[in-house]
Amino acid sequence: MPIFNASLTSIDKSETKRYAGLNKVAFDEKLIDDACLEAQLLSQAKGIWQIYDYNHVTHTIEAEIPVMIEGRIVQRHLQNATKIIVLAVTIGEDIEHAITDHFKANKYTHSILLDAAATTAVEMAADSMEKTIIQEVQAKGYQTLMRFSPGYGDWNITFQPQMLRLANADGIGIALTDSMMLIPRKSVTAVIGLVPNCDGNSLNNRHDCKNCNKLDCLARKESSI
Amino acid sequence: MIYVFDGAMGTMLQNSGLKPGDCPELLNVKNPEIVTNVHAQYIAHGANIIETNSFGANRIKLSHYGLADRVVELNTAAVRVAKAAAGDKAKIAGSVGSTGKFIKPLGELTFDDAYDVFFEQISALAAAGADMILIETIIDIQEMRAALLAAKAATDKPVICQLSFNSDGRTVTGTDPQTAAITLEAMGADIIGANCSLGPAQLLPIVELLAENCSCPISIQPNAGMPHLVDGKTVFPMEAEEMAQWVPKLVEAGATYIGGCCGTTPQHIAAIKKAIQLLTPTVRKNRKPILALTSRSKTVFIDKTLPTVLLGERINPTGRKKLAAEIKEGNFLSVKKEALEQVHAGAHILDVNMGVAGIDQTKAMDKAIIEISQLVDVPLAIDTSDAKALEAGLKAYPGRALINSVSAEPDRLDEFLPLAKKYGAAILCLPISPAGVPKTAPERVAVVQTIIDRALAIGMKTNDFLLDALVMTVAADDEACIQTLNTLKLYREDFGYPSTMGLSNISFGLPNRPLINSNFFTMSLAYGLDAPIMNPYDTAMQDALLASAALLGFDKNARHYSLTAANTTAPTKAATAPVSDMDLLTRIKVAVMNGEKEAVAPMVEQALAEGHSSTEITDKSLTAAMNEVGVGFGSGKLFLPQVLLSAEAMREAFLKIKELLPMQTFENKGTVVIATVKGDIHDLGKNIVGALMENNGFNIVDLGKDVDTGIIVKTALEHDADIVGLCALMTTTMPQIDLVIKELKKAGSKAKVMVGGAVLTQDYADQAGADCYARDGVVAVNLAKELVAK
Repeated sequence: MPIFNASLTSIDKSETKRYAGLNKVAFDEKLIDDACLEAQLLSQAKGIWQIYDYNHVTHTIEAEIPVMIEGRIVQRHLQNATKIIVLAVTIGEDIEHAITDHFKANKYTHSILLDAAATTAVEMAADSMEKTIIQEVQAKGYQTLMRFSPGYGDWNITFQPQMLRLANADGIGIALTDSMMLIPRKSVTAVIGLVPNCDGNSLNNRHDCKNCNKLDCLARKESSI
Repeated sequence: MIYVFDGAMGTMLQNSGLKPGDCPELLNVKNPEIVTNVHAQYIAHGANIIETNSFGANRIKLSHYGLADRVVELNTAAVRVAKAAAGDKAKIAGSVGSTGKFIKPLGELTFDDAYDVFFEQISALAAAGADMILIETIIDIQEMRAALLAAKAATDKPVICQLSFNSDGRTVTGTDPQTAAITLEAMGADIIGANCSLGPAQLLPIVELLAENCSCPISIQPNAGMPHLVDGKTVFPMEAEEMAQWVPKLVEAGATYIGGCCGTTPQHIAAIKKAIQLLTPTVRKNRKPILALTSRSKTVFIDKTLPTVLLGERINPTGRKKLAAEIKEGNFLSVKKEALEQVHAGAHILDVNMGVAGIDQTKAMDKAIIEISQLVDVPLAIDTSDAKALEAGLKAYPGRALINSVSAEPDRLDEFLPLAKKYGAAILCLPISPAGVPKTAPERVAVVQTIIDRALAIGMKTNDFLLDALVMTVAADDEACIQTLNTLKLYREDFGYPSTMGLSNISFGLPNRPLINSNFFTMSLAYGLDAPIMNPYDTAMQDALLASAALLGFDKNARHYSLTAANTTAPTKAATAPVSDMDLLTRIKVAVMNGEKEAVAPMVEQALAEGHSSTEITDKSLTAAMNEVGVGFGSGKLFLPQVLLSAEAMREAFLKIKELLPMQTFENKGTVVIATVKGDIHDLGKNIVGALMENNGFNIVDLGKDVDTGIIVKTALEHDADIVGLCALMTTTMPQIDLVIKELKKAGSKAKVMVGGAVLTQDYADQAGADCYARDGVVAVNLAKELVAK
């Protein structure tokens, strides 16, 4: 099922707070509520994915035109994978325009909270799609590795054009600027490594902020700086 | 009797030589003896029902093998080879699997296309002589609905509906077993169950929930445990004997049809067969049928034993010109907003009315139902008088909807009731007959009786009805209120079905309508109103409901009432220092620091009136506040959204000063040209820096994002900028900063250059020749002050 458009019947408030850098702070809940509600209203979640064989010795995605993944951290992350899912998710342009318009109207706080809620929304859409993928591949005997995106760890974002091609992301309207930015901005591309399921094999499957080079991320966990 | 299905087909075929990548259903014509042999083994090991080798034999799945035009042939052959093995020893279930595509809006496939695909396959299976249809391994309720409707249209044979659930107890697209059981039973599923994706242990609680929520027999076909991959082959670890140990528990939970899915073999079936010899079907407790409506992921019950259910009435363009115009244009943003906000305000069910003159109501209803059901998880009521629009809505809705409404008028009875039955919807019964609106309660009961009789006659059930008591205007008829209350009472006594009504008509033509409405509401609740149709934003009504729930015993120990009442009087903001102790300028400062936007302007006005100068207010209150906020931010005690709230409050203060003293000029600390560089489309960070600088007295020329180097240089020269602020968020756009700095120098600009953005560092700023690097907006303001002071 390569196309899946997630239904977002709520936007996670605590994640929104985290992305806004308000993880452990008391803050006017109504402002968070309003941002989450608007993000839910304006999000148009769309997602697409494809599955490929993966050669973890040569770090190659065995597509029609094979593509090598470069970067030690990402290679290590995928070291036991034999197949790979390439996915792309977006929540569309409308929310982007609203974020800009609110700032222009001097609603600074609402604008950045909406931006955080939009990030939450696109991640939730990706989570929701990941769930459908897991169901499908688990039935075939695979475990899934954590989603991993270009730009994370030492995986260069210049891999984005390949990601969009491998995921067929133009099918859901995601494009790229010359500088490798996804348009709409609230979009995600990622790979999910599939590892044959074996007894006692526990996967290191947790996100670690230490592996990320986005040092000014509001959601960055303090412990890992 | 407990029936035994067979086990896995795919792995058995692979063991007999089917290669990965080959179409399993093609064997039905190429090597039918292989398939017959698998069936024969399962029958020999005790299966009463065998499943045809047609799981993927729909047009969409077969197209992957270039076999899309052979649906009828391959399904017919599937039944034929099954019959060859079964004789009269076993019944044949025609297996129907997923198309592999999600239905709109989750995917691209239209509901009608999915229906056609299933209809084609199921017709072939039925015509070839399958004894029943088994729709299995479906992960989306909407695909199941399409397949079930197709099966009901294609054949009179029994239909088994089996979904696949995740370990979280829901299907991938969010449907829980309770919701699935209620939705599918209402649509006429004969047997409801689950198969695949989980082993017997995980499926046990799902069987329990299915059994509790419908009266259909329950079928269950677990996998042989959770799969592993060994040497490239998917292996299921659970042995036959271990699987059989779960059979008594599954039967006790309510299952009467048991078989196996992935990884199960004839040995598993033999062990299951042996296990059931000693068992008798569990006598299921007959749950009292209660009216239940469902969405894709939720069930809402309406009954006199349960708390009041609110039907939100706001998605209705009647008398709302703007909403009507938007719907007419095909713009559903306001419709979606009403949906979200009503749910937020406490609505449990949303009424959806698309009654705009001069539009295609069918299309509008289809779109509205799709958009709303994707957005909120409460059940919907489809409110229309147009049978075509009703059917479009019912089809698009991934649950059991309420039809608003069915009166005793002939066209409603003739057209709406069959649609309700077909799509498994409940009906709101409106006591209006061709003779008009009955005045008295007994007359209303009589009219409703005719609707119910007709509905039951076509096979609807006693839990399909919600009775409208009908509200007339008390200003025109002294009896209006009394008759409605009596109707509510009689409905409960005579039928026992739940009741509803729209309330506000009662006060038409009277002054202070909210007073009448909320009092009428309280009375109605006492007389047995279960599900009012109302405006959930109406606080008087919400208050009446809150109090009534406590009075009528639906709010145990008045706990909810107490908590809500306490909350509304408690302060909502964090406590600050007692204001009375502070002088006015300090109070303004504190208000700015707390981001109290609304409070600041009146205080500034007061301060000016008391003779404070604008400079004094700016220095002692506003700038001082922002300085403290900046320090708090720098030390990690305050966070960006808090800084921005203060900035907004400060802006309000400035606006007030400008409004009252239009001739007042403020100190201009310097001109800053600010831009996100070419190729970079992020601008929120840059906007924040600009806003904070502006608040601090800088003149900002904001060029936006993705700005050409030439434009930045030209603007800097034109405005004789003191500072040029450049922002880049990505490694790919960072080199643009070097370029701008080079070009600025070349053009002879004397502006200082400040740089910032996610990937930038002090080192990078140094090598690029920038005058400073700002880590965040607060730092940027401080650095800017230093730069212009030099």
